[in-house]
Amino acid sequence: MTKSFHDRHILHRVNLTIPSGEFFALLGPSGCGKTTLLRLIAGFENLDYGAIYIGNKEITKLPVNRRSVNIVFQNYALFPHFNVFENIAYSLRIQGHQNGSVEEKVQKMLRVFHLEDHAFKFRNQLSGGQQQRVALARAVINQPDVLLLDEPLAALDFKLREKMLVELIDLQDELQTTFVYVTHDQFEALTVADHMAIMNHQGEIEQIGTPKEIYEFPISSFVAKFVGTTNLLKGTLCQLESNPTIKIPNLGRFSLHIPEKKGWMKEGCTASMSVRPEKIVITKQEGSYPSSNRLKGIVSQIVYYGRSTQYSVIVNNRFKIRVFKQNEEHIFTENIDYDDEVHLCWQKENTLLLEQ
Amino acid sequence: MTKCICVGKKKIHCFWNNRERQMHALFHKIQQNGKTHRFFAIGSPALVWQLIFFYLPLILTISSSCWRCSDTGTFQGWTMQYLGSLFSKMHLNVIAYSLILATVTALLCLLIAFPLAHFIAFRSGRHQTTLLFFLIVPFWTNFLLHVYAWFFALEQTGFLNNLLLALGLTQTPIHFLNSPFSVLLMMVYCFLPFMVLPIFSSLEKFDKELLEASNDLGASLRQTFIKIVLPLTLPGVRTGFFLVFVPAFGEFIIPELMGGDKQYFVGSVVSQYILGSETQELGAAFMALSCLFLAGAACVIHCVFRQISTYLTRTVR
Repeated sequence: MTKSFHDRHILHRVNLTIPSGEFFALLGPSGCGKTTLLRLIAGFENLDYGAIYIGNKEITKLPVNRRSVNIVFQNYALFPHFNVFENIAYSLRIQGHQNGSVEEKVQKMLRVFHLEDHAFKFRNQLSGGQQQRVALARAVINQPDVLLLDEPLAALDFKLREKMLVELIDLQDELQTTFVYVTHDQFEALTVADHMAIMNHQGEIEQIGTPKEIYEFPISSFVAKFVGTTNLLKGTLCQLESNPTIKIPNLGRFSLHIPEKKGWMKEGCTASMSVRPEKIVITKQEGSYPSSNRLKGIVSQIVYYGRSTQYSVIVNNRFKIRVFKQNEEHIFTENIDYDDEVHLCWQKENTLLLEQ
Repeated sequence: MTKCICVGKKKIHCFWNNRERQMHALFHKIQQNGKTHRFFAIGSPALVWQLIFFYLPLILTISSSCWRCSDTGTFQGWTMQYLGSLFSKMHLNVIAYSLILATVTALLCLLIAFPLAHFIAFRSGRHQTTLLFFLIVPFWTNFLLHVYAWFFALEQTGFLNNLLLALGLTQTPIHFLNSPFSVLLMMVYCFLPFMVLPIFSSLEKFDKELLEASNDLGASLRQTFIKIVLPLTLPGVRTGFFLVFVPAFGEFIIPELMGGDKQYFVGSVVSQYILGSETQELGAAFMALSCLFLAGAACVIHCVFRQISTYLTRTVR
């Protein structure tokens, strides 16, 4: 499908199949069109070209209120003049259900979402997490085929966000409804998703895969940089057949591991090597780790995160390599400080070759 | 209806009691903080102004309707004869007609203003300010000029009749002037902005995501309007209704000029009594009486809006 506003492509030839009954995350930078994609599925926007199907049923031309799709908005959009009970009951009332069945269904939802004590409160009397639960309950009470979540946790603080993420996973497990979760937060996407899609600034989908595939085997430098952090080094490929290496000007040659040769990989072409910071070992003693690739540099920055520490190492006065070290001990046996000379080593199996 | 009024009075009673209690609490707090002087320093100019130029004349006017004066104008005692003489069919008719005129004007304004405000708030995009500007701009010219402009447009040989004749919609000129039609037309024309602006401001604050949420949960446009838009903009509608109703009740230039002398309204009767010789007391008394009716009508309207509001947001149980 394609969608543009004022001649500017928001979504460009997006072809996406979301597996039924899965927790699917759409991850992309701000303004990449992921929210537009969600609004297209919900029916708030019309497609310029293409079609949307749920199962075998085409819904492209179906009006919003007749789609078996419900959405949880970023700011929840709870009705301020209705209490929690009536907010959750809204879609049932619209369908003209009898009071008895409305009562029964809403009570069940209140129980599922731990909102029994708040049934008669109004929006402004609820905390962010409670509002979130009401919005969820309101959206799932009709058992939609697809539940769309538009950055639902963006307005919550960190601790609550972690808690709600777990609740969302449990909820999806229980309902077995297809969840489409839009976020720009890679941590959220990696945590909740069964499968995820990465979108780029041009409104195209770069890669679809499980969180592990996306993180460990990104297919482009955009994905590698956007999901997690990585060290990207540009150079030329050589000895592709015997012992593949990449020659990086002013830095040296590094062995690569290429499990599967792709079409663009040719002798002498430019490419990028990606090494995740946590896959590099940092040490002051030379040769203490057997590894295929090594570098020597000066520590220029140390960021302590608690469970790990990030070191920025300057090599040859121009390359900045980032390294994560797990803080396994209370007291480090080897204390690395600013301006220390350190050795960086990594296995060729932990490198990844990306198209330029 | 009677029930409504009773409920309204009770509510008002409660309201005043509450208000009194709140004021007491407020005063207490202010005195405790030793900031009494500051409170009065801020409030006093407005209070004094209101007292001298509004409440004092009001009390004087109303009480003067009960004065018995000699021929030379000296105060001789109290009397209820003027007030009593007003409870005639003719006077009550005038009040009833004024109430009807004000109600119909407000309802017509509402019918026109809501779609207009909706359009300006939701659909006009970047032209919003321009449209609001054009709504206000006719009121920069003199009010009497408007009335006369309409007067000439509606004449037998006026613009509207010429147009209708030219289009062949009518064979003989229609008598627009001196009819309820022309009065209502002018009233609606003049009071429309007072209805549009409050509704517009409540629609403008409206979170459009709520409309999408309602639509997404299965509601049609009509259901969304009734269940979401209307209850949330009702305060704006009520403000607009009062802003039109109250001045429309006392309006006297428009009925006078457009309605001829077929039907008297409160405004014209009061002005005639006050300006006439030896009927000032009657005018004051009539004003007091119509104020009473206006207050009653306001209570009824308030109750009606409350009922609508509770009906729209009713919850089972």
